[in-house]
Amino acid sequence: MSINAIEVEDLTVAYKEKPVLWDIDLTVPEGVLMAIVGPNGAGKTTLIKAILNLVNTAAGQVKIYGKSSSDQRRLVGYVPQRGSVDWDFPTSVKDVVMMGRYGALGWIKRPGKKEQDLAIQALDKVGMSQFADRQISQLSGGQQQRVFLARALVQDAQIYLMDEPFQGVDATTERAIVSLLQELRASGKTVVVVHHDLQTVPEYFDWTTLLNVRLIASGPVKEVFTEDNLRLTYGGRVSFLKQNNGNGISDLDQKTG
Amino acid sequence: MKFSKYLILAVLLVMTWSCSSNDGNKPSTTDTEAINIVATTGMIADMVSVVGGDKVSVRGLMGPGVDPHLYKASAGDVALLSKADLIFYNGLHLEGKMTEIFQQMTKRGIKTVAVSDGIDRKYLMAPPEFKGNYDPHVWFDVGMWSDTVGTVKESLIEFDPDNSEYYNDSAEAYLSELADLDEYVQQRADSLPEDKRVLITAHDAFNYFGRGYGFEVKGLQGISTESEAGTADVQALAAIIVERQIPAIFVETSVPPRYIEAVQAAVQSKGFDVRVGGELFSDAMGNPGTPEGNYIGMVRHNVNTIVNALGQGGES
Amino acid sequence: MEVSALINDLFFDYTLRTVALGSAVLGIVSGALGSYAVLRKQSLLGDAMSHAALPGIAIAFLLTGSKQSLILILGAAIAGWIGTLFVMSIVRSTRIKFDSALGLVLSVFFGFGLVLLTIIQKRPDATQAGLDKFLFGQAAALLERDVITMGVLGAIAILTMMVFWKEFKLLSFDADFGATLGFPMRLLDILLTTLIVLAIVLGLQTVGVVLMSAMVVAPAAAARQWTDRLGTMVLLSSIFGAIAGIVGALLSSSIDRLPTGPTIVLCISVIVILSLFFAPARGLFWNWLRERKNRGRLHVEAVLEGLYSLALSHENLEHPHSVAVLRLIGSGKGGVEKSLRKLEEQGLVKSTNTDEWALTNAGINQVRKLAKNREGNN
Repeated sequence: MSINAIEVEDLTVAYKEKPVLWDIDLTVPEGVLMAIVGPNGAGKTTLIKAILNLVNTAAGQVKIYGKSSSDQRRLVGYVPQRGSVDWDFPTSVKDVVMMGRYGALGWIKRPGKKEQDLAIQALDKVGMSQFADRQISQLSGGQQQRVFLARALVQDAQIYLMDEPFQGVDATTERAIVSLLQELRASGKTVVVVHHDLQTVPEYFDWTTLLNVRLIASGPVKEVFTEDNLRLTYGGRVSFLKQNNGNGISDLDQKTG
Repeated sequence: MKFSKYLILAVLLVMTWSCSSNDGNKPSTTDTEAINIVATTGMIADMVSVVGGDKVSVRGLMGPGVDPHLYKASAGDVALLSKADLIFYNGLHLEGKMTEIFQQMTKRGIKTVAVSDGIDRKYLMAPPEFKGNYDPHVWFDVGMWSDTVGTVKESLIEFDPDNSEYYNDSAEAYLSELADLDEYVQQRADSLPEDKRVLITAHDAFNYFGRGYGFEVKGLQGISTESEAGTADVQALAAIIVERQIPAIFVETSVPPRYIEAVQAAVQSKGFDVRVGGELFSDAMGNPGTPEGNYIGMVRHNVNTIVNALGQGGES
Repeated sequence: MEVSALINDLFFDYTLRTVALGSAVLGIVSGALGSYAVLRKQSLLGDAMSHAALPGIAIAFLLTGSKQSLILILGAAIAGWIGTLFVMSIVRSTRIKFDSALGLVLSVFFGFGLVLLTIIQKRPDATQAGLDKFLFGQAAALLERDVITMGVLGAIAILTMMVFWKEFKLLSFDADFGATLGFPMRLLDILLTTLIVLAIVLGLQTVGVVLMSAMVVAPAAAARQWTDRLGTMVLLSSIFGAIAGIVGALLSSSIDRLPTGPTIVLCISVIVILSLFFAPARGLFWNWLRERKNRGRLHVEAVLEGLYSLALSHENLEHPHSVAVLRLIGSGKGGVEKSLRKLEEQGLVKSTNTDEWALTNAGINQVRKLAKNREGNN
């Protein structure tokens, strides 16, 4: 019987009386690599933020390894969307990655040699170590994504929550990130990723959650990633990708909840 | 947050309330038959109530401690002015922010009189850095101020010819008092040796006083308190005080004392101890009911303060 | 006034020393903390806060009847803080955006403050506070004890900033991420805002309510032009602020009737303009130069290729053509001759006795190389 990394119960989040997430019951077992998919406005980012206790919830609770998320900060690493920060901020790549160690440092203490080394190691893993002293505004989209990844890696967390880490990233970078994620899973970590590309779900992930304000389905990809479920999630014409067929998913009718 | 909405509402309510009219100073008589007069400075209000006696009801807009250069009329003031029968103001841009209002009142048919019109222009001073504007502080040369009595008297007679004899009599009586006052001031001034007659104040309000009674006068700010004194001005004044060993400098009731305190600190840092010789009434009189609450009392207070302080010679 | 006499006065003349010190303290504190306001895109918050402080000063006087700097500063700080809270709650609970909320609070509070000043000016007691001097400041009236107060409070602010350096960096760059690390980002936000309010009220006596926002925004904006490191930016910002303060005091000391506060603001404005134009990486002037150089280079390449394409229709690639023909095929609206001369210098073209131009061997090779490069980049 595997342990549950994340347990979400009755989660409801509303923005100005409009529901963004409605009555979500979700269990994420330890050690899976899970994709959260759904149309625009489905609440995917909100779900991640709710698990991290970054948004106010109208109802429900979240448990990380059985305890509340505020007690388990050390165990969770967050990779936000690229667009959530101003990349014109005067700081270097290495500096951003070191921010991942601020939690371990605690109050007031400044990062030192140890933190620098850990940062370089993480940058190495994502293939960005030669950019360590580069100003972050000079990075391409894919490079920025990898910096955020490195920042989360340096936390050495047990659970990683990532919001669209493949957005606007070129094919090589995407492959590199995927193998990194799979490495994490192999070492027993739990990785939850908000993913936008239905085509690659079966290839990259072993678990998936289909979301459109309500939970449509959640479980192993083989069981849950079906045409019926997708139609329920996206509510429109969806030509389903068969594993060996290679047809693309086209014309997703992305209706918002 | 609903709370903040109520707070905003409360703020708006307070603002509206504070905009409602408030009254100026109390009228000098409660006679409803009296001519309704509004005056700007306390000195003018005082004069008009003396010359007009019980025939007039005078309200002054600017009370003690009020700076006429910066005074902005409120809606309540404008309401008062528009109900007046006669309006008296100083003129020569003393009430720097009210010029348009006076024009407005004239257009509405209210007789608006600048008492300084009674002074022959050749007696007026125009300081070099104020290009074309006269120094408006005409009330400190008692002789010159006496010339304005005639203007007030004539305006009253024009409005109320039936009582012309009354106005003539009270004007004459007042002029005689002013003549005595003039003599007193000259006397006191003369009691100071000439080299001690240097008067340093917060702004150039005393030029006519200086010329009339033989004082050298320097103010930190110019003839209007609207200009901000610069560092150079403070330094220059401090240098002069130390050089000439002037024992006392003066603050004014209607001007914040900070600048004079800064000058004093600068002087003290040069090793010379200058005291603040006292508070002078420059653009406003004292509190009503006190001896300095009328023109004559105010002038006496000023000259006594000045002469006593300068006559003593430096003590802390 | 001679410069040497001026410098001498800076140290030995009480007035100049006091004013310059006070202005320098103001510059340092507002420069340092203003960096955060600018980086968090809250520059105008400084403006709103300083305008909002006006009713606070008036109410402090009305309640206590005192003209003591410390009391008025306290009133200013409280009002500035309340104004900020208002802005935040308006943004949170209505559809009004941040800048509109700022404008709203700024004008309402400031208007309220002016109303209060008008009311105060009517009061019968003869001790007027000179509160309207807070509109534009009265730097020349700074006393030593004022500067000491400013210095102590300013030191506290700077010290706090340095203690919580990494926390504030986190707050400004990625507050959400900071929250996931377990830091109380709301509290840190409140702390940082308090420090900014402190910086602003310190400066109110010197430059006044209306101009204070310049001292919060300008030094940081100028500093950003010169560096890509937060630490350097904050340091530079403080230095720029201090320079503006001291130079402003010096200028005001050498010219009569020059108000100190506005002069300081003028100085920092000059620093900003110079930084905008001449800072090495981001300066507009260098951008313009670089663009000119690029344009020139592109033009030369275009002419070279124009010659090549003309030559292609002949057997001999070195067939000459006239300048007029080159102009016609639109290799460049003007400056064809200039580009040709440059190409000649590089040995890529040669001129004939008939005033025509032809490619050299080297020129032909260059064109081919350029074409290959372009394909490679696609």
